[in-house]
Order: sequence, then structure tokens, then C-alpha cells
Amino acid sequence: MNIFTFHSGNTALHRLDVRYKTALVCMVSLALLKAGFAGCFVCFLVLSWLVYATGISFIHLAVQLKWFILLLGIMFITRSLTVPGTPIFSFFEVVITHEGIVQGTLVAMRFFLVMITGLLFSATTRPADLKSAAQWYLKPIPFVPEKRVAIMISLFLRFLPLILTQAQQVSDAVNARCGNLNKNPVRRIRYLVLPLLKKIFLAADSLCLAMDARCYSEDRTDPVFETGKNDMRFLGAGICLCLVMVCPFHIFIKMTFWS
Amino acid sequence: MDHPILEIDHLTHQFTSGGGIQDVSFQVFPKEFILVAGPNGCGKTTLIRHLNGLLLPTSGDVRLHGKPVKSDITTARRTVGMVFQDADTQIVGDTVYDEVAFGPENLKMPCHVIQKKVMQTLVRLDLSLLKDRNPATLSGGEKRRLTIAGILVMDPEIIVLDEPFANLDHPSSISLIKTICALNQGGQTIIMATHDLEEVITCATRMLIMDRQGCLARDGRPGDLLLDLASHGIKEPCFSRMGYSAPPWQA
Repeated sequence: MNIFTFHSGNTALHRLDVRYKTALVCMVSLALLKAGFAGCFVCFLVLSWLVYATGISFIHLAVQLKWFILLLGIMFITRSLTVPGTPIFSFFEVVITHEGIVQGTLVAMRFFLVMITGLLFSATTRPADLKSAAQWYLKPIPFVPEKRVAIMISLFLRFLPLILTQAQQVSDAVNARCGNLNKNPVRRIRYLVLPLLKKIFLAADSLCLAMDARCYSEDRTDPVFETGKNDMRFLGAGICLCLVMVCPFHIFIKMTFWS
Repeated sequence: MDHPILEIDHLTHQFTSGGGIQDVSFQVFPKEFILVAGPNGCGKTTLIRHLNGLLLPTSGDVRLHGKPVKSDITTARRTVGMVFQDADTQIVGDTVYDEVAFGPENLKMPCHVIQKKVMQTLVRLDLSLLKDRNPATLSGGEKRRLTIAGILVMDPEIIVLDEPFANLDHPSSISLIKTICALNQGGQTIIMATHDLEEVITCATRMLIMDRQGCLARDGRPGDLLLDLASHGIKEPCFSRMGYSAPPWQA
């Protein structure tokens, strides 16, 4: 279990209709691509409040995202060193530019906020609801078997952790017989991948039998969505947030104080 | 006497790689608790997979209420619910609730009916407090009860369990036996394939012993077959070897 897995709860985000939630995540992620510093800051405040309201610990969040934050740090440094502009520090051939720092900070902030948006989505959405939303969104598209795709998404989400566990078990079994001393990468992959694939195929075979035994069919009971006024309010608030994020901040300030 | 639910008539199944079952015949009546015992590789799993059409026979016939199983596979699978050996690879739901709802959704039951039946089943198997839990976080015994709930919600006439005690500790096994016995006492027909009879033999009403060739060697009351077990490669229960008629925790 990590912070990206579903955390049961009864917050407004948990209760939000998954179709609206999916649309909001897409909108906010797209708006973040266009957002400046001010827009990112507004988004950061809103997302921080939502993380707090959802009950996710900020410390836990930082610990779980430590490698991602490191990646953002590397992106920031790369941008600082590669974007041409006004130099603010130079050491032999290495030049850090003002424009590089600004761009690096902005890109890192955007990626970080997209990650937090996704995290809030996954932590407050049951995988079954995610499957239902995928089915609903795919339904109007011709030639796409939406129910089959939905069950595939559901099975993928369900079995990915199982596959990772099995990979760890195979790796442990290999290492228990000093397989870690073997430095040949081809042999290592062979001893890890072949047994793992065998286990996965056997598990898939058992799963097919178990699903058959429970009368699995693509013609299943359709999911029922319950949309309330709160969903509309959330959607409205989300659209406003996106507009604030993409609107140049000086225009936003002028509009606010001029009126 | 009641009419049989299932009739297995000269059932033979041969795999191309060898092995299988040979000329097996028996009938299953309502409210029976049948143990299918035998050593590893004797064909217990092959036999029970014919009962709901997961495997089709090379020769012979399996009839459900007088009609061949293969003529209506959906009815057969709804009537004969099957719990597999490995709980982890048969649980498809993301939560306990979703897992139990999977079968009724496949049967296209209306949402309100699914909700009612799932909650009833969860209460019946003492899983209602776990309904929002991820099945991966359940204990072995809870997972096994969940797999039974996933079958029970479809109102099967027979529940077939394949090695249900595999990978379970003793308290979980005892708890599972109590659940299964309660279901049987409530009128549910049970068929259980197992090679470990120690904990369950006194609950069963009938026992089928299969030999290594995949033939049905004996069919009778469990108490009458206790002394035949060892000769067919099955461990005789400890209580029997010590001269007891039942395990100490059931005596």
C-alpha cells in the first residue's frame, strides 16, 4: 500500500462523481502546462488544501515522492545550465542563467503539481469507479469494446501489484542461490524473466478459469453514476481554477481590481 | 429419496500429456457434504472441473438435473459454484464488495438487487466490516471466506472447493471448517477436494477416494473408509490412528 493506492474515506473528493473527477484532472493538468508562476501558486494552495482535507500526511507524501522530487531537482539543474540568457554565475564553461533558473523552477513546479493532482485522483478514486469512468468515456467511440477495455483496466490495476510481488519472489529465490554473483546481464534477465513469465501465464490461466466459473461475460450490469449539485459545484470551481491558472496574472489582477 | 442434482456417468478425461480420470461414476444429492480424497495428481481437480463445464469429458457424461452440463454452461456455472485453490489469482475485485459483486454483475442482475445480495452475503460470512478493504490486505482465512462469498452470492445449489486448506494456518483452517459446516447445515450441498482430511473428515457425510490411476476406488461414509485411506496414499487422520472417533477439538 502506498499513497497512490485508494484510501477509503468520505471526503467531498471521495464522493465526487468519477466522471467529473476525471474531467477535472484532465483540465487542471492541461491548464498547468500553460500556467505561470502565479497560476502555479494558486493551484498549489488549492491542491494543498485538498491534500489536507483528504487526510494524506504531508510528511508521508514527501517521503513517498522523494525520488520524484530528486528527478525534479535534476530537471531544474539541467534547465539552469542549458537555457541561454543572462549569466548570474559562471565557473569555467559552466554558466547558470537567470532565464534557466526561472524556466527550471516553472517546469519543476508544473510537474510537481501534475503529480499531486494525479495522486489526489488515485487516492480518492476506487479502481472500480475508474473502470466505470473509462467505460463511460469510451462508450460513444465506435469500434471500441468499452466493456472489455474496462475489465482489462480493472485487471491490470488488480494484478500489477501481484506481478511485482512475484517478480520480487523470483528475484529472492535467484539471490538465495547466489544468483546475485552472476554479473552477466543476459543470464540474469533469463533467470528472472523466464520464471516470472511462467508464473504470470499460470496465474492468468487460473484467473481465466475463475472468471469463467463465475459466468464472466462482457454483457454485464452497467455501472450507475450518481450526480449531485456538489459535482456541478466542483466542476464550476475547477473551471474557474483553470481559467485563473491560464489567464496572465497581470490581466487577472487588472480585471479584479478594475471592476 | 431426493433426485440427484448432479449425475456423473462413466466420466473419462485424458490429457495428451498423460494422466486424467478414468470411468468415474457417482451422483450428488441435495445437502450432501462430499469429500473427494486422493493423493497428488490423482485427478481430483480434473474431476471437479467437469462439474460446471470448465472441462469437457473425453467420454462419459455429466448431467445437471438430468440435462447435460455442456448444453447450458451458464446455468451449470451458476448452479455449481467453484472455489479454487489459490485465492490470490481468483480474486478480481479491488475491494471486498466489488469482488462479491463480480458474479451477479456477470449475470446482469439489476444494481439494487446486487447491492442487497452482496450485503446479505457479506453479513452471512462475517465480512461486512471489511467491505471497503483491498482484498490483498486480507489474511489467508479472510481471503478464502471472500472467495466463498463470491460464489455464495450467486445462489449455487452446490459449492465445490478445491484444496481449501492449502496455505492456511490451523486457526484459519478451523474457522473455515466452521463456515463450511454452517453452510452445509443450512442446506448447502458441498463437494470438497482435498488430500488433507484431518480437520474436515468428521463434518463430511460421504467420501470418494480416488486412486493414482484416476479411478474412483471407494465411495462411502467417511467413518467406514478411514482404514482404507493409507492404502490409497492418503494420510489417515491422527485421531483415527490414536483410536479416537473425532478430533479432540470436535469431540
